Amino acid sequence: MAATTESVKADAAEAPLLNKRNLTLGILLYLVFYSFIRWYEGVYGWSAGLDSFAPEFETYWMNMLYIEIVVEVILFAGINGFLWKTRDRKVMSITPREELRRHFHHWVWLVCYGWAIYWGASYFTEQDGTWHQTIVRDTDFTPSHIIEFYLSYPIYIITGTASFMYAKTRLPTYQEGLHLMYLIAVIGPFMILPNVGLNEWGHTFWFMEELFVAPLHYGFVFFGWAALAIMGVVNTEVMAITKLLKKDLA
Amino acid sequence: MSASQSAVRSRAEAVQVSRTFDWMILFTLFTAVLGGYHIHYMLTGGDWDFWTDWKDRRLWVTVAPIVSITFPAAVQACLWWRYRLPIGATLSVVALMLGEWINRYMNFWGWTYFPVNFVFPSNLIPGAIVLDVILMLGNSMTLTAVVGGLAYGLLFYPGNWPVIAPLHVPVEYNGMMMTLADLQGYHYVRTGTPEYIRMVEKGTLRTFGKDVAPVSAFFSGFVSIIIYFLWHFFGKWFAKTDFISDEAS
Repeated sequence: MAATTESVKADAAEAPLLNKRNLTLGILLYLVFYSFIRWYEGVYGWSAGLDSFAPEFETYWMNMLYIEIVVEVILFAGINGFLWKTRDRKVMSITPREELRRHFHHWVWLVCYGWAIYWGASYFTEQDGTWHQTIVRDTDFTPSHIIEFYLSYPIYIITGTASFMYAKTRLPTYQEGLHLMYLIAVIGPFMILPNVGLNEWGHTFWFMEELFVAPLHYGFVFFGWAALAIMGVVNTEVMAITKLLKKDLA
Repeated sequence: MSASQSAVRSRAEAVQVSRTFDWMILFTLFTAVLGGYHIHYMLTGGDWDFWTDWKDRRLWVTVAPIVSITFPAAVQACLWWRYRLPIGATLSVVALMLGEWINRYMNFWGWTYFPVNFVFPSNLIPGAIVLDVILMLGNSMTLTAVVGGLAYGLLFYPGNWPVIAPLHVPVEYNGMMMTLADLQGYHYVRTGTPEYIRMVEKGTLRTFGKDVAPVSAFFSGFVSIIIYFLWHFFGKWFAKTDFISDEAS
């Protein structure tokens, strides 16, 4: 009887398999932050973002660019550095339950990664089309680009690398080597950011109109395909979780 | 890790864990496919999808199915062959269209004030359902590519006809004959408005009058078959679970 009571107490004290608070906060963090960003560009895009030579453009847009780049570098180094520094050096000897808990935690990261990809690759990228079809650009750093290229893309890059780093440092599943599709799912979308260099060079060199299907944009298309590599990650995860649950689901 | 130890405390907990993972996987797959598919589609066929004055009887009908059958074929390759889930094409297209509709409302209309009846996205859902049904019933990639791919191209225009027909009626404006969609474009000037950029009904096919759309759809279906084959193999490749060595050489 006493042993049972102790066991129940231990269960109650144990951390939950899925930390729903982290999951909810993660999703809300992106939603609230990007809602604020959408409000900001709605107001200051029109009032301060039409002429890059105007003083208010420097105040509301260029200063935002400088701040976000600094914060992103700090976040990237901080999060990935923390995950690496606190890595589990005995990852192959954890209990199955702990492994399951870590898979859940890993999936909180992956959910956030998918969510961040949506905002970057879908929401803010197509938005760029309508802004540049409306406002003739006089700089590479337009309000739309300052949000799309230099904010939403780095944010999904930070989320994706952190997700990969978590898996590599804490899950036995990923100790075999480097998971090829996971690498592609993270590095492919990352490569969209350097491809901005080609995009801006081309827009500056050839034309300023926004023809979205122009071959100049095909680099983005190629690296966008890499999002499909999430299927390889899903398959690996399904196999790992199945292995952990098989006995109990049979 | 001991193989004899269990990760869960009961069968009920195992079932709950499994269902929770299902939802998290579905959300991640949905949003990641949405992002990749959307950036692909907007940059290969986007202009024909953004504006009604680009939604012509020739290039829109030709381009949109060819560039949009890609991700559905790839996702089918994973979901059907691995999990027997006949939803790969529909899931991809629903994801894409959700992303597009949110964007057209929140940004095309909400930020730059184009009316939604000028910027609504093309409907791709009928073709996607047919692709999934053919794969489910036939269990054959070749059959899905040939019959499904052709159907995907052929169904595009009829699938959009109820929406676009009212905008293709002719109007006379300042002594010129144009469609209502052209008139919308005339009033909503964009940086991409100049005719040297706008690719609409170019060439001599237009002189064939009523046959333009069916001929374009047939050609689109033909190319869609080839693209389906290609992207089905891409999908199989992206679904691999291989590891590479992480030791520095």
